[in-house]
Amino acid sequence: MRARNGFAVLAATALAATAACTATGSSNGNGDVTLSVWSWRPEDAAVYRQIFAKFHESHPHIQVDFKPYKSTEYNPILSTGLTQAGGPDVAQLRSYGILQPLIQAGDLVPLDGQVAGLSNFETTSLDGPRGKKDHKVYGVPLEMSTFQVYYNKDIFAKYQLQPPATWDQLIADAKKLLAAGITPFAAAGKDTWLLPLYDETFAATRYGGRDFEKKVLAGRAKFTDPEYVAALDVLNQLKPYFPKDQMGLGEADVQTLFATGKAAMIPEGSFALGPLKAINPNLNLGVFNPPPPPGALVTKPLQVGWVDASYGLNAKSQHQKEALELLQWMTTAEFGKLVADQLKQVSLVKGVQSSDPLLGQMVSAYRSDPTPYLMLVDFRYGTPLGSDLQAAGLQKMLLGQQTAAQAANDIQTGLAQWFKP
Amino acid sequence: MVQAVKRLLFLLPAFVLYTVFMVYPLLSALADSFWTWEGTARRGFAGAGNFTGLFTTFPLNRQLEPAFWHTVVFFLGTMVVQNTFGLLVAVLLVELPAARRFLRTVYTIPYLIGGLVVGYLWSLLLSPAFGPLNAGLHAAGLGSLARPWLGDPATALPVVILVNAWQYLGFPVLLFGAALAGLPPEYGEAARVDGAGARQRFFRVTLPLLLPSIGVVTILTFIGSMNTFELVYSLEGAQGNQPTGPGGATDVLGLIFYRVAFQEGGSNAIGLSSALAVLLFVFTFGVAVVANGLIRRRTT
Repeated sequence: MRARNGFAVLAATALAATAACTATGSSNGNGDVTLSVWSWRPEDAAVYRQIFAKFHESHPHIQVDFKPYKSTEYNPILSTGLTQAGGPDVAQLRSYGILQPLIQAGDLVPLDGQVAGLSNFETTSLDGPRGKKDHKVYGVPLEMSTFQVYYNKDIFAKYQLQPPATWDQLIADAKKLLAAGITPFAAAGKDTWLLPLYDETFAATRYGGRDFEKKVLAGRAKFTDPEYVAALDVLNQLKPYFPKDQMGLGEADVQTLFATGKAAMIPEGSFALGPLKAINPNLNLGVFNPPPPPGALVTKPLQVGWVDASYGLNAKSQHQKEALELLQWMTTAEFGKLVADQLKQVSLVKGVQSSDPLLGQMVSAYRSDPTPYLMLVDFRYGTPLGSDLQAAGLQKMLLGQQTAAQAANDIQTGLAQWFKP
Repeated sequence: MVQAVKRLLFLLPAFVLYTVFMVYPLLSALADSFWTWEGTARRGFAGAGNFTGLFTTFPLNRQLEPAFWHTVVFFLGTMVVQNTFGLLVAVLLVELPAARRFLRTVYTIPYLIGGLVVGYLWSLLLSPAFGPLNAGLHAAGLGSLARPWLGDPATALPVVILVNAWQYLGFPVLLFGAALAGLPPEYGEAARVDGAGARQRFFRVTLPLLLPSIGVVTILTFIGSMNTFELVYSLEGAQGNQPTGPGGATDVLGLIFYRVAFQEGGSNAIGLSSALAVLLFVFTFGVAVVANGLIRRRTT
């Protein structure tokens, strides 16, 4: 009997605790409000506190409580948090396909017309937090990633090379480096997720970049079309200039090869700038986008890029007005500059300069000549994921186990199982 | 009567623990495999839908067969390399009573390290860019033999088998060692008196007497091979729903289960992975039971 009473007390306590949690943020008697903001970046917590202190200066009636969760556990935590009491007011959101289930469940508030500052972003930036069905914008873009070729300026100077202006020049430079005993491109094969990004970087121009994206989404093109097959095959043409042991090398291996001067170039993301400089602080770096290969449908180099994260509004938030004020502030140049200088990320707010000139070069290339990471942006909201199919196919192709056409066929077959134009 | 109740009471704790931690999970996996799932929410009854789904969903359907054969090769390779060599070591240790305890400990040490750690250490040793193995081959003038061991479809699976054998060699050494110590020395001595050489004594006397332990080692190796996961995972990784290893050369059934359940992100992950788990269990259990029966008939 005692035990049972104990249980009743426990249950009552739990109930009371749940009731106390129903308000998301909290407000005190003065009309002051505390907003709960969720994120998957615990490593940025200290910086975010400074950033939100700045916000509090200009918005004294709003406090921000920043709650970071572990990145790998964030998705399920957020999707349950949004459906229950005690969730966030404002939440960091993933982009493109992974975001769609939250939008379709009605967990987020569309921001069109509510946040005037969305006009401070390009349309391509707003595609990250956009609903696939209703085309509304559900988040304020926070930061982006780009992918391009880094080169070692000292090695280029030693062999009197320039970032290549034509594909023939690119191949000629690679041959020259190879003859000198230097690996032209530090490309990995063991971490297969990099392979689709290599293909985008060297060959998005070959299949036509955003034009092909539109056509394939509308059902007017397939991955088995000759231009896409030819684009996959571009990596075959570059294979002689990749490390001989490519399939045994992971990302960390090739970063080390490049940073220690054993390779002259490396296709890598904007997110690799820090790690590369950590291996060798004296590395003299430049970046370029490869010139279009023969037969390319786009005749100028393109910058691969995608939106990583945005901030959106919980439909169940008790403080919609204050949350919108915060989101509006996140569209300003003031916040964009804090993202660039303090968080060291590529801000998407128009006119914000990046803290690092190389990052600045990447983002301005993306603003003028963007191309999507197609498999992430458009083919990651069903299984099998487009990026998985492409990665596995490219690895087999580079091992000589199948042709580009077979790889393309697998991509088409796999995606056709769930993708309807 | 009171005695019987007492006996049951003594059995109760073990029975409850066994039911909660063994029987219930097994049965719930069986139940889960017959339903369609959306994330962690159970939807409609699927019947055999998840089982047929395993063999009809692209690219999963194309990954299962190679992974099954890789698992079989892994088992056979382990039998040949690990258990044969383990038997040899155990026999030699009988002849070296002075060093026996020390060497037995040495052979068993890798057994005490987790598979993930072993895999990580070996991936560093075998790295084509910075690993000492290839560097050593180059230094010895044997550079033509150097290759990306884990990145070459021809060598990846053999290397995994060798590393696994390196780790678990102590297991057959211990088991065979115990069996050899239990053999009555009279048989061998009688054979010696009759003029049998060392080789004859081993193949005609020792080996037949070891059959029961060889059977046990075979069955345990089979079960371990069917469930092998952590070593391949740490040597070759597992990404999305891509077959593991260069061109999928080291993909095994345990890895497919892991990818379907945790990595690929399909909404019916619980249904599909439970179905695969049930098939794996039925196959492993079935073969183990049949093999056990055969061995018993041979040895009694």
